[in-house]
Amino acid sequence: MMGITRLYVENNVLANDRVDLEVLENEIHAIVGENGAGKTTLMKILYGLEHPDSGRIFFKGKEVNLRRPLDANRLGIGMVHQHFRLIPEFTVAENVVLGIEPKKRGFFFDPEGARREVREVIEEYGFSIDPSLRVWKLTAGQMQLIEIIKILYRKADLLILDEPTSVLTEQEIHRLFATLRNLAGIGKTVIIISHKLGEVKEISDRVTVMRRGRVVAVRKTAEVDERELSKLMVGKSVMFQFEREPLLPGRVVLELKAVVLKRTGLERPLLDGVNLSVHAGELVGVAGVGGNGLAELEDIICGLRRVSGGNIFHNGEDITGLSPSGRRERGLSYVPADRLNRGSSLPATVAENMIVSNHHRFLKVGIFNRRKVRDFVADLTGQYSIRCLPNHPIATLSGGNIQKVILARELASKSDFILFSEPTWGLDVAGSEFIYNKMLEIRKAGAAVLLISSNLDEIFKLADRVVVMFRGRVLADLENTKDLTGELIGEYMLGLRDDTRPEP
Amino acid sequence: MERIKTTGDPFINTIALMITLGISFLIAIVLIFVLSKEPGATIYYFFVGPFTNKYYFGNMLNSAVPLVFTGLGIAMAFKSSVFNLGGEGQVYSGALAAAVVCLALPAAGGFMGGLLGLTAAAAVGGVLAGGPGFFKMKWGTDELISSFLISGAVILVVNYFITGPLDDPANDLLATRAVAEQYRFLKVFPPSKLNISVFFALLTAGLLFFLLYYTHWGYEMRMCGLNREFSRYGGINVPAYLLMPMVLSGSLHGLAGGISILGTYYRFVKEFSFGMGWSGIAVALIARNHPLGVIPAALFFAYLEAGAKAAMIHSDVTFEIAALVQSVIFYLVTAQALYRFIQYRKRASS
Repeated sequence: MMGITRLYVENNVLANDRVDLEVLENEIHAIVGENGAGKTTLMKILYGLEHPDSGRIFFKGKEVNLRRPLDANRLGIGMVHQHFRLIPEFTVAENVVLGIEPKKRGFFFDPEGARREVREVIEEYGFSIDPSLRVWKLTAGQMQLIEIIKILYRKADLLILDEPTSVLTEQEIHRLFATLRNLAGIGKTVIIISHKLGEVKEISDRVTVMRRGRVVAVRKTAEVDERELSKLMVGKSVMFQFEREPLLPGRVVLELKAVVLKRTGLERPLLDGVNLSVHAGELVGVAGVGGNGLAELEDIICGLRRVSGGNIFHNGEDITGLSPSGRRERGLSYVPADRLNRGSSLPATVAENMIVSNHHRFLKVGIFNRRKVRDFVADLTGQYSIRCLPNHPIATLSGGNIQKVILARELASKSDFILFSEPTWGLDVAGSEFIYNKMLEIRKAGAAVLLISSNLDEIFKLADRVVVMFRGRVLADLENTKDLTGELIGEYMLGLRDDTRPEP
Repeated sequence: MERIKTTGDPFINTIALMITLGISFLIAIVLIFVLSKEPGATIYYFFVGPFTNKYYFGNMLNSAVPLVFTGLGIAMAFKSSVFNLGGEGQVYSGALAAAVVCLALPAAGGFMGGLLGLTAAAAVGGVLAGGPGFFKMKWGTDELISSFLISGAVILVVNYFITGPLDDPANDLLATRAVAEQYRFLKVFPPSKLNISVFFALLTAGLLFFLLYYTHWGYEMRMCGLNREFSRYGGINVPAYLLMPMVLSGSLHGLAGGISILGTYYRFVKEFSFGMGWSGIAVALIARNHPLGVIPAALFFAYLEAGAKAAMIHSDVTFEIAALVQSVIFYLVTAQALYRFIQYRKRASS
């Protein structure tokens, strides 16, 4: 792949910026990078699911034009998605042949033929699974194997696996890796997307590191260690561009004690004994790679999800069982990561969006005082310089302006605790700076601020204290001093270092 | 993350509706030319008939009245993104409740009697729709299915009463006795059946418009209808708005039945309200769930109905042909509205 560029016009994100990728025949090639680095976009382009704005793709020496996945299939490129695409009620064989079923008399589905053909593939590659089993009875590892068999049945030579280990147990991972090694041994080529460096080190021959839509390094796996990879992935941070006032220690405003969040059917808790406190006038940053509990932390603090264990305190009072509205009444505000579905209601007007959490202020015996609402909205749109028609749907605004509306609403209630989750995701520099300044402003005014972000730069810039999460646990809780480096945080983020465990 | 398109502006929407109407009328005229031996007269009575005399005109307006109520009932539910498919049963049992109460009352004042009858109708409808709303709130059952099934069962129960204990043997119909003179609504446009309930309908539409766009409950209802996740995040009591709009919707359906009894029929006749509940859905769809839009939408329906009747009486078309022409217009217009509604639903749920 040469010079692949893909711009997401919707939110002005350059997902791939002149990316070159070279994968050799017979190798297992890993692509690593943080969330949003552009790995998945690149693979979707290679699989024909998305189209590059510019750039060329060569396969086996010939330039190819991939307009849809079917084109990729024909060339011998197959992809296993992060989430399985199987029909639980169907048998293994039926799932494998789906779309290109063997036919009887040119029309009727031939179940015996399907079973026979699939069994042949299974035996050819030395797998062991019964093609007549129903898929819902299988384990995650077996389902993944079926996805791989599906690709092999379609005679693919290049297999793309997107985060294949995220749902597997340790033993299943080992079995998968053995399978992949076998496949490479008999002449197949494998691309594996991951952000788990240990696994990359174990399985791959070469590795391409991506950051913010660009390739930053291509290495032979044997010649690079995990620490160097993590450094490449996270990058160097520009520190202390903002003038942070020295912290005046205040009272504890929000405190989490041994918070656990479980989900049925999942062995490992999503949040595993999280302890966290935020003081008045303090800005705490929570860092972590996606999928390690950041989103869940957001949900349990705002009250949209109930914890399975542990307690949450606000100003010393237990608010564990309080509803989102109860928490708002107590003075907790919240700028959510999902600003287009949770933070705003796109078909509703700008004004309707601005008053959702505080519309009780404008009521007289249940009837709105329209002038008060109008003044309130005009005041905020002016203050935050949001150019809009208040009675038009908020969907007509740009992403940056929608975020400003949310920010304006949440800060208008003068809360003593404000949670920000991925507040600048997808925003341009000016929009981000605006939000950073607001956060520092309210911190200075004495509010307790919690910033959940997968963008390490902004945590370094803003936070007084940095909390790092990995697999639902807090691995580190550190003062943000000049000694704190991105490399160190990166090691915690990837689970290479753990303060809660004694050094081995 | 796909950028979501907003609904077009009302002006374009109205034009689109007009074009659909025009096309459907054209097809209807072509059909009449094919099916009728005297197409001129048929077309005349079909489209102009309802306006030719006071009796037809008043009856047309009168038959729009219950449709305003059922249309409002559906619109209020849809606005909150809950679905009440039990309109048929709610209208039917609301009507029975009004009839029974007014028959059982000792000679009370006319006003009190009417009020009690309508209250009973609204209450019965409210409970029938509120049940599915409550189940949805409590256990997450699909209110669309449960309201439909409950309605189906209730119709059979009502039919039992009307064919058995409540049937008045003195008349040839399967019907109750007529309610006492003083409970019947005043006629306002004799000789037609148009009565004061037309003012109730207008008043109710106005009130619900006010409720929806000027009050706290209306705001919360609409926000829940557009995006429940956002509403929960904003601190709105979302479960309450699964129940409340259903109760409101059911009550409006019950009222549709009640006013039909006290204003038009005076006695409960078996299957008198057949189709009224379903028409409410079509009315709400055409009105885009806007309380004031329900009024012209209901009039349009009543007009089609009245035109078909006039054509049957005055020209050679049979009931079947009239129904065919009527349904061509009906389906085209509803399909256009339905298409928009489905798009709207997709947006709300995604």
